[in-house]
Amino acid sequence: MSDRITLTLRAPLARALDADAIAPDRLAALSAREISALELWDGRTVVALGDVFTVSGDRSPSVLLEGDLAQLHGVGTLMGGGTLEITGSVGNSLGARMRGGAITVLGSAGDDAGSAMAGGSIVVAGNVGDRAGGALQGASKGMTGGEIIVRGSTGVEAGARMRRGILYCASAGAGAGAGMIAGNLIVSGTIGDGGGAGNKRGTIVALGPVRVPPTYAYACTYRPPHLSLMLLSLRKRFDLLVDDAHVHGLFKRYSGDLAEIGKGEILEWQATR
Amino acid sequence: MQIDDTFAEAFGMRGVRIIITAKNQKWARESANKLTGFATSVIACKCEAAVERELTPAETPDGRPGISVLLFTMDSDSLPKRVIERIGQTVLTCPTTACFDGLPDFPDRIAIGKPLRTFGDGFQGSKMIDGQRYWRLPVMEGEFLIQETFGKAKGVGGGNFLILAESADAALDAAEAAVDAMAGMPGVILPFPGGIVRSGSKVGAKRYKTMIASTNDAFAPTLRAITKTELPEGVNSVLEIVLDGLDFRSIAKAMQVGIDAACRAGVHSITAGNYGGKLGPFHFHLHKIMSGDVEDAPKVEAPK
Repeated sequence: MSDRITLTLRAPLARALDADAIAPDRLAALSAREISALELWDGRTVVALGDVFTVSGDRSPSVLLEGDLAQLHGVGTLMGGGTLEITGSVGNSLGARMRGGAITVLGSAGDDAGSAMAGGSIVVAGNVGDRAGGALQGASKGMTGGEIIVRGSTGVEAGARMRRGILYCASAGAGAGAGMIAGNLIVSGTIGDGGGAGNKRGTIVALGPVRVPPTYAYACTYRPPHLSLMLLSLRKRFDLLVDDAHVHGLFKRYSGDLAEIGKGEILEWQATR
Repeated sequence: MQIDDTFAEAFGMRGVRIIITAKNQKWARESANKLTGFATSVIACKCEAAVERELTPAETPDGRPGISVLLFTMDSDSLPKRVIERIGQTVLTCPTTACFDGLPDFPDRIAIGKPLRTFGDGFQGSKMIDGQRYWRLPVMEGEFLIQETFGKAKGVGGGNFLILAESADAALDAAEAAVDAMAGMPGVILPFPGGIVRSGSKVGAKRYKTMIASTNDAFAPTLRAITKTELPEGVNSVLEIVLDGLDFRSIAKAMQVGIDAACRAGVHSITAGNYGGKLGPFHFHLHKIMSGDVEDAPKVEAPK
């Protein structure tokens, strides 16, 4: 048993590979030879993991992925524990349906990061693609637990149909939080158009500019007590640069989506002098 | 200065630590004072509660000034009732406050915010933060936040020592010094007014059979000539310090500090109240405590 399993990309990927075999809790029980024999999918063709990566270390719940992995999809699928660190960028469906553990990406991630995740955390230093924390195709609900922290931007429909958990990003594309069932979407910068449309009970926290949909109604300006707790927790756990002015600040509360049940909210931070 | 070779006899209780935060210390204190009002003794108050200490913003979950309160009852069943009714009437109602569990690592949990959420009349909402559920109750001021569950501790109640002094003034000076020295010690509260009891009691009564407690005539100086007194010559006043705590060690350490501070001019001796070891499983031997041995443990499990 070693402290960490390191998978280093042998050569740049020419085509997309499906790598849902790579999850720390599954690798933790395997020898280096068994890890090398795991199957990756190139379209309809199986490729041995050892042909794509050099493998060092074995039987550890801590995994390091090295190389430009933007074409590697499904990493951390159904992950239940352990830690996974990716030094570069990674492809689509990172941590899809994950239930526990921690994924850290030093680059960016593709579409559907944290799709339908139920627990654990994903921290991305760069940007992520569309539908982060969203639902699998055809599914009624997106993430049901855990945290997704994106220090950069998210594509369209971040947190769409999320049921529980926290998605934090520096800016969000159009349709962020669309159809939220519950949960929390916190955006420190700009939120694109259509944010919160169809929201049932979700909370969208806008620390930057937001265009509130016409199907939301202004309620009051106040200090939401749960938000200071949540922001301080994120600052502590993920070393986020959360401003005290946000932690203890005033927010405009808009109730919506009134075209739905109207129990959701957009909390828009108010700069005070 | 004499410290009697005796022990304080204490019993098992069940307790919670309630963290109240507010816009400033004034409002946290206002709420805590109301929550801990009329909570000196389980004999008539159904619970015992007091402020443990003030908390800085860095010590509280939401980064605001706060106060920690300990509240104890005699059994597990009544603990949630007392906590819910007191928080509901004194923290929920108090401007700017929020309410959190101060024993997050205790596995025994009691639902507090969960039943209180119904005050929200269906407009309440909840948030999961760090694996804990918090309830948001809409109120006229804005919103009240309370944690869903609180940790339950197997605590100890009735730790005590008696200050036997030459005069009432000397007894009060010594008792005040003891309380000041024990103030803010973790895991301990002094539930009586100012931390001091002047009307220590005995179990039952000699004359009124329905009384569950009555004056401790053996230590009442005005009865020295007509009852079987425990008062040495020269003692004209006695005050008692009663301590409840989250565990034996916290009380023992506080007693050590308090007794040390109480040993001053005008004090004849320090003793403690016990019932011959028949009432409670926790025995605080004064000589052992003052020699630094605070690791004693009860030989009998506390009642359920």
